[in-house]
Amino acid sequence: MKFRLPSLSTLPAWFGVLVLEVLLIIVMAITQPVFFSGSNLSNIVRSSAIPIVLGIGMTYTILTAGIDLSVGSVLAFSGILLSGIIEFMPRYLAVVVTIALVTMIVGGINGTLIGRLGLNSFVVTLGTLGIFRGIAYLVTNGTTRSIDTGPLINKIGDGNIGPIPGPLFVVVILAGISIYILRSTYFGRDVYAVGGNEFAAKLAGIYTSRVKMNVYVISAFCAGLAGIMQVGRLSSAAPTAGAGLELTVVAGVLLGGTRLSGGVGSIWGTVIGLLFLQTVSNSLTIQGVSSYWQQVVTGVLLGAAVLFDRIRLELSGRAKSKEKK
Amino acid sequence: MTSGVEMRQISKRFDAVQALADVNLELHPGEVHTIAGENGSGKSTLLKILGGVIKPDEGQIFVAGEEKTFNSVRDAMKYGVTMVSQELSLVPNLGIAENVFIGHNQSKNKFGIDWKDTDRRALEILKRLNISVDPRREVSTLPQHEQQLVEIARALSFDTRVLLLDEPTSSLAPNEVSALFKVVKQLREDGVAVVLITHRMSEMLEISDRFTVLRDGKFIDSSDRAGVNENWLIDRMVLNKPKESARRHFDSSGRKAVLEVKGLTDRAGAYSDISFEVREGEIVGLAGLAGAGRTELVETLAGVRQRSAGNIFINGSEVGKNSRTALKSGIALVPDDRREKSTIHEMSVRDNLMLSQHKFEIRHRSKKAEEKIIKTWVEKFGIKTSGPDALIKSLSGGNQQKVVIARCLQTNPKILILDEATRGVDLGAKAEIYEILRNLADAGLSILVVSSEIGEIFEISDRILVMHAGELSAELDRSKTNEAEVVAAATGVK
Repeated sequence: MKFRLPSLSTLPAWFGVLVLEVLLIIVMAITQPVFFSGSNLSNIVRSSAIPIVLGIGMTYTILTAGIDLSVGSVLAFSGILLSGIIEFMPRYLAVVVTIALVTMIVGGINGTLIGRLGLNSFVVTLGTLGIFRGIAYLVTNGTTRSIDTGPLINKIGDGNIGPIPGPLFVVVILAGISIYILRSTYFGRDVYAVGGNEFAAKLAGIYTSRVKMNVYVISAFCAGLAGIMQVGRLSSAAPTAGAGLELTVVAGVLLGGTRLSGGVGSIWGTVIGLLFLQTVSNSLTIQGVSSYWQQVVTGVLLGAAVLFDRIRLELSGRAKSKEKK
Repeated sequence: MTSGVEMRQISKRFDAVQALADVNLELHPGEVHTIAGENGSGKSTLLKILGGVIKPDEGQIFVAGEEKTFNSVRDAMKYGVTMVSQELSLVPNLGIAENVFIGHNQSKNKFGIDWKDTDRRALEILKRLNISVDPRREVSTLPQHEQQLVEIARALSFDTRVLLLDEPTSSLAPNEVSALFKVVKQLREDGVAVVLITHRMSEMLEISDRFTVLRDGKFIDSSDRAGVNENWLIDRMVLNKPKESARRHFDSSGRKAVLEVKGLTDRAGAYSDISFEVREGEIVGLAGLAGAGRTELVETLAGVRQRSAGNIFINGSEVGKNSRTALKSGIALVPDDRREKSTIHEMSVRDNLMLSQHKFEIRHRSKKAEEKIIKTWVEKFGIKTSGPDALIKSLSGGNQQKVVIARCLQTNPKILILDEATRGVDLGAKAEIYEILRNLADAGLSILVVSSEIGEIFEISDRILVMHAGELSAELDRSKTNEAEVVAAATGVK
């Protein structure tokens, strides 16, 4: 009887990160009992939720070989928008209206410029990053507004729904829907096709400009939702919320095996990638390592992940060449 | 041992395709060595390895008896090997002289580069090639064949001991070819080893001292000029010679025009004022040299390239100007470059084959229904794949092409356009593709086949259109013409 390990090339790209995550949890659980306590684990889940929600939207844009750098700013903009309208209507309606407006305004601008007019996504979203952060500061004059969130907003941002943390609930639903869309619908297939080979996609009759527009609308929706979750978590809306978060999110998405050049990647990878980054950050905090180091570690991990993926492909390519001889 | 260059046991794979397997090549100073073989036999790959453009998976290269590694084009040049590739690698917005000496300009004065001296030296080389142009002229303003000559001029500007020419004549007119060959002969006298790839049998027989034949990535035979004639080459290059009887007899009378093109002109100027038609059930061949504007023309028909004037009609009604409306009207294109233009590499056979099936918005794709459709194509075309979920890149070139053709047919086209459909496809699959196309035409589909291989054009077409320098230069009935007439029209000889 011969036992064969599954070959490196057939495993998904995020598998390595998953192994690291499990190892990290085991090591931390043994060395630092505090880490494995229920409250700390739920803390990791809660703090991962917002980056993951943004990461799901980001995955769509990166799959089409684009990027959305505006998500952190839009998160803040969404919270500020909510704080402005929440007094005039019931809370649940304010949530719906906020998300709808953010989706339409931000998704409309990014999507039209990138999808319809074919402008570079990096440049356009760098622009909207500045614009919506600026608006958030202008409207609030730089101050943080406290919000009486009520049970609904609190639950999706921080509280529990039954025994399950509310943010986890949101992530599971959003990730589940996205996994279905990307795997089993025409639109999902078109997203991969546009990122994999735009010319071929166009030639096959795919409405590429509309696909590209829609991914920015989805990303704006996710950022709008994340803004509400942030308000629920802090019971306030700050113009500084989510500053620099876009870079963490991009790092997590890439760590999860989504290729910056488009066409390859998955929601699973994004969830695991961002969960891993959050676990690392939490572990370092528990170990008493300075938070400045955490940024260095994130950078090193990202570099290592990309390098590892390269080695993996290279090895599997060579193995195949040998096999056929 | 040899004082030249020797390649031993060279192997190279691209995904599922074994491009080269244990190929040997020996080059001696002062000889012109032709590497002969059909498309996809691995000739270009072998040259690219020697030129340092790609790395072999296995094998050794010896220069003057010593083993060397060729990791880059720079490495190759260090050992005196210079390559002129099929794809031009000039900087389009720089001048001719600048391009010739790019990266190794030795004309210097106290202020930096001495442009006068650069121009003078460039002119010297250009004169050897028998072309007279202003050395300051921007390369992008030159016609393609002159760009090709600039590329060769660049190779001559190095101290080259081994010159690799990959189809240098494919876009040249006869007088330019003879000028080039004069230079090649001169280089041979100077002790340079010249490696040549060409598809034109008469050219290789005219100039070569030695021949090596490759087939399907394998070394087949090698011989001196004395032992070689046309039949020797054909016997070794081609496994199964196509049979004359396979040709169709098509009677165009009473058939209505399916595709009509009127006064079509490219926005970027690649072709102008093209008018022709394709009738029901007819196979029309579109011949011409590389750069004649054929690919640009068919891409405009498929709606992925912009035109400045002209109209396209399918069964009398006008076709819209983007790829979605073109496809809906019944124009389906199998483009010339599979990797760059038609397959989505990281996707499965299923996704690639079903790519033109759209139900926009977020609609569920039934895996079962799709697999049933794929099964019928796999059986009909004999597509060799481990399953519908295998990645397209794991298939051989011929099978990938069949998937792309199936994708096009899945849209129920009125006219199927194929651009260099058998490039990089092995001979067995090539014959199968021809068979598929004949059957489709017999069933009433109109087909337009673009090909640079004259043999292919004659093999499959009922009628032949020829393009030269962006214009239709001839329309010929296949049964009443010959290869010489097509070549003359393609090279612009009146």
